Amino acid sequence: MPIAATWRTLHKGASAVLREFGEHGYYLRDIVRSARETDTWPRETIRQMRVIGVESVLLTIIVAGFLGGVTAFQTRFQLFPGVQLSAVGLIARQSIVLELGPLLTALVLTGRVGARMTAEIGTMRVTEQIDALETLAYDPVAFLSLPRVLAAVIMLPALVMLANVAALVSAWLTLVLATDVRTVDFVEGLRISFIPFQVIYSLIKATCFGAAIAFVCSYQGYIAQAGAEGVGKATARAVVITSVAILTLDAIVAAVFAPFVQA
Amino acid sequence: MKRRDEVLVGLLLIVSVAVGVAGTVWLARGGLSSGYDMYARFPWGAGLKNGQPVLLAGVNIGFVKGVKLDPNGTLVVTLAINNEYQVPSQTTAAVEPNGIFGDQLIALTPTRSVTTFMAKGDTIPVGKGTPTTGDLLSKADSIALDVESITAAVRDEFVSGGGIADLRKVTGEMAALVAELGQIASAQSRELTITQQKLRATLAAVDSAVVDSTMRSIRTSTANVAAITEELQHAQGQVRSMLTKLDNGTGTAGKLLNDPTVYARLDSLLMRLDSLAIDVKANPRRYINLRVF
Repeated sequence: MPIAATWRTLHKGASAVLREFGEHGYYLRDIVRSARETDTWPRETIRQMRVIGVESVLLTIIVAGFLGGVTAFQTRFQLFPGVQLSAVGLIARQSIVLELGPLLTALVLTGRVGARMTAEIGTMRVTEQIDALETLAYDPVAFLSLPRVLAAVIMLPALVMLANVAALVSAWLTLVLATDVRTVDFVEGLRISFIPFQVIYSLIKATCFGAAIAFVCSYQGYIAQAGAEGVGKATARAVVITSVAILTLDAIVAAVFAPFVQA
Repeated sequence: MKRRDEVLVGLLLIVSVAVGVAGTVWLARGGLSSGYDMYARFPWGAGLKNGQPVLLAGVNIGFVKGVKLDPNGTLVVTLAINNEYQVPSQTTAAVEPNGIFGDQLIALTPTRSVTTFMAKGDTIPVGKGTPTTGDLLSKADSIALDVESITAAVRDEFVSGGGIADLRKVTGEMAALVAELGQIASAQSRELTITQQKLRATLAAVDSAVVDSTMRSIRTSTANVAAITEELQHAQGQVRSMLTKLDNGTGTAGKLLNDPTVYARLDSLLMRLDSLAIDVKANPRRYINLRVF
């Protein structure tokens, strides 16, 4: 009897996971198909680019500024005597460009952009606006999901690029103003073992994270259950799933591309 | 509204791309036209990477722009040199440690009093670098081996060869010798003390009155000696005047000593006396005619 119960539990769990994957697959298929609706998504995409990108610039730069400053400051004081100070520039650059810049920007935007996305679409779902769109022969995916995914995929790399630069500038200012590291040391460290692919690697991560934020958050909004509580639950679930997805993608991108990052 | 969105989004994208491209180019090449390339060839395993600094006589003049593996056993290293610097001819390049944790830099060492410069794109000849951490570790290893062999030799000599026992024996003998010397010194000290005491007793026994009378006697004797000396000086003066007279031939004695005629007369007198004596011996009766009765 316990074996049968355990089996039923496992079966239900596995079925639920597979169903989730399947439904996500269908949603992805719908998004790809909706690309045919060229009258619908381009205009909305521009608007979403502003919402996701332009309106997040200040937050991104503030987060990156603190991130760079703290990273550089901590790095300086972790070095024991005898290590050349240019190591601070090298470590700051590698930490920021390869990992922290894209990752923290994506996590912050998950809260700011992703949660908003889920709440918007979820509210439209529970207030039957999506049904109304379908009734008016609009493809709701082309109107709601595809623009958000495209906007996030395009704007996340742009924001991450700004974040990287802001973090490095902040790191430089922090080191020069608050530690004994000079500009020459920092710049020397920035250039050690640098190859342009490191920037591309950062942008690859940003693209993946942007896609994950928009895809997961819009999907969670799209399937939100009725009522304000349903929207709240969907939003919370979207943020959690997106965060886990971002960290998982981070690991996958690192595993695939890290060998090419080394100079 | 729509137009404004497009402008803002476009602006953000342009700024992002510009910042990304400019930053990448600045990091990878040091800017668009901020320098020129020079080359150097180092053996494999020099530990060189892009971005490592290039120092000319200790001044940072550029960075490593590229490292290419040449199958013939060398690394072709491209050095990005800032436009404001020129590399003097006869400069040599060497890979030197940057810090103690294995990072490297390229040190260009110019020769003094050279006023000509290498052309852009030249290959800088390789010189001898400073010892690397590996060299130092190797040297430390050989020193450690030497120390170990010395320690082994000392152990053989002192432990196995009985050196420590000998040393202990010598130390014991030295201790005995020192003790003996100490005894001698204490005996000598006792003798000296006794002598000192005796001397003090003798000095204490000397009567000051006797000393005074002795001193008076000495003074008297000294005065007598002074009188005698004066008389002797007087006598000496008289003798001197007498000798002067003798030298001058004045007076009878002077004439006797100095007058040759006196000498001749005396000589002839002596000759006559000799002949007289001979004659007396030969014919005594001529001169002596004794008649008793």
